[in-house]
Amino acid sequence: MNTTVEVLGFAREPGWLPWAVQYFFLIGISTAAFFLSLPGLVWQHPDWRGISRRALLAALVCGLTAPVALLADLHQPGRFLNFYLHPNFYSWMAWGAFFIPLYLLGLIGYTWLCLRSQLADLAKRPSPLAGLYRKLAYGGHHNPSAIKAAALVATLGAVLVLLYTGMEVMVVQARPLWNTAFLPVIFAITALTGGIGMTALSEAVSGNRQSAPLLNQWLARGVWATLVLLAAWLVFGLVGTSTAAADALAAMAGSFGWLVTGGWLFGSTLLTLWVARNYRESLVVPALLALHGAWLVRWIVFIGGQSLPKMGSASHPYTLTLTPDSLLGIVGMAGLCLTLYIILTSLIPWDDQANA
Amino acid sequence: MNAHPDLSRRAFFTALPAVTAGLAIPAHAADEANPHWAMLVDTRRCIACQACTMACSMENVSPEGQFRTVVATYAVTDQTGKTGLSVLPRLCNHCEEPPCIPVCPVGATFKRKDGIVLVDGERCVGCAYCVQACPYDARFVNHHTGKADKCTFCSHRVEAGLLPACVETCVGGARIFGDINNPQSEISRRLVVAEGKTSVLKPEAGTTPRVFYIGLDQQLDGRVDGAATADMMWRPDTQGA
Repeated sequence: MNTTVEVLGFAREPGWLPWAVQYFFLIGISTAAFFLSLPGLVWQHPDWRGISRRALLAALVCGLTAPVALLADLHQPGRFLNFYLHPNFYSWMAWGAFFIPLYLLGLIGYTWLCLRSQLADLAKRPSPLAGLYRKLAYGGHHNPSAIKAAALVATLGAVLVLLYTGMEVMVVQARPLWNTAFLPVIFAITALTGGIGMTALSEAVSGNRQSAPLLNQWLARGVWATLVLLAAWLVFGLVGTSTAAADALAAMAGSFGWLVTGGWLFGSTLLTLWVARNYRESLVVPALLALHGAWLVRWIVFIGGQSLPKMGSASHPYTLTLTPDSLLGIVGMAGLCLTLYIILTSLIPWDDQANA
Repeated sequence: MNAHPDLSRRAFFTALPAVTAGLAIPAHAADEANPHWAMLVDTRRCIACQACTMACSMENVSPEGQFRTVVATYAVTDQTGKTGLSVLPRLCNHCEEPPCIPVCPVGATFKRKDGIVLVDGERCVGCAYCVQACPYDARFVNHHTGKADKCTFCSHRVEAGLLPACVETCVGGARIFGDINNPQSEISRRLVVAEGKTSVLKPEAGTTPRVFYIGLDQQLDGRVDGAATADMMWRPDTQGA
């Protein structure tokens, strides 16, 4: 066996920047949070009514923020028009350009229908915004059938968004870390745990702690599924059943950085499971761990996956910098989420009393 | 060793009789002849001088640090402990089954009838999906334009009856460019002579590249298990000046 030293190599920098991580993270947890809103708001399950309201808030905040990260990644926001002027339907990304508005319009319509009667109540109170509430309520009629129809549209959109975001990455054969059938499922399951985390955080901020056991129960189930999927990918790669997984592991072999990354991922996932199972009344810590896990999976897949060389030996490690397409972008997205949260919670009460 | 390293260049010019008639006529002549452009890289002739890299950068005004073609260079030590230099000139492979085309969400990447894979800059949105899909790391998002960029086989020069800049400048005549539909072309004749000795990068990817290699070390035709000096060195762009 010959040994080689790459004297002069040319590693490409990542094509998908942290904007992609932020987008996949936010849109994933938005769809999952939307699903959590269904038991309480559509099926009227008493245990879920409060949780579902906060889940809807989380879905809105993340869903409205996510496309901003996507537009930012195009370098010129106006370029998005070409997705509609020249769609290539052989590309999953092209389909995504239609699935995102379907989901968001469904979500916004569903939210409006759910909040309509509450908006009418707010319009009756003495407030400078009473006129705005009255217009938004548009009669304030509570229509369960319309809510179900809107939920159906949003559900279709959410499922398609989860499908396209997973498939878009999975079909890239040139990236062995991405090219696995496990990836769409891992993205969907970690979106669920992230959505639970964001909902739990919303619950904690609004002071509704009674939902903690139920959310932690579902979080533990999601983390179990994540661990099983990660372990399956690892076993398939080690045994050689999956060529792509084996190639990815071969490319990572001998790298201390990847060893730490893998240890961090498995360790933090196990910690999340332990906390969710043993501190069932806790909201903030499991929520933050769940959000960390969902974000970490996407960071490893996108930024880590692009650092593995396609050609030659040289990797291209990504370093966070204080630039708009790096750390400032991540902070900016978090800031936008926070701003939307403040605006939405300032305009509309989302607690259980408001729901009564 | 061929005594006439510029033979391929001369043969190319003679195969295009309309070259001297101006810029438009050769383009029509090329259409009529139904050419299919390809490149043969004879790595035995490459001395890793990077003249091709520089010529390409100057011809196509590539941003600093971004290259459409490069010559990766390796020190390979065999089992007897003997170390030698191996090279891998890299560029877009202008594949017959380009994985960059179906993923493009707006159809900006396309393959012309003459085999050249191009990017429509007007349509490209800079999403970098094609960058991900290329198994050869041949694509990048241009820092100046924010759009996908890659080797075009210098299509603007070819249409004018000229050779790609990298071929024109190659000191050792390692790059042979021509029409593989024309059995009399230099590249076709060389491919026939070297039959069974040519290879392509990552044949398992099923992309059917149209850049062929002679004398390519099979160990270098994809990801290479080994150390990289780039990973050992200080990187001013990421580690601070």
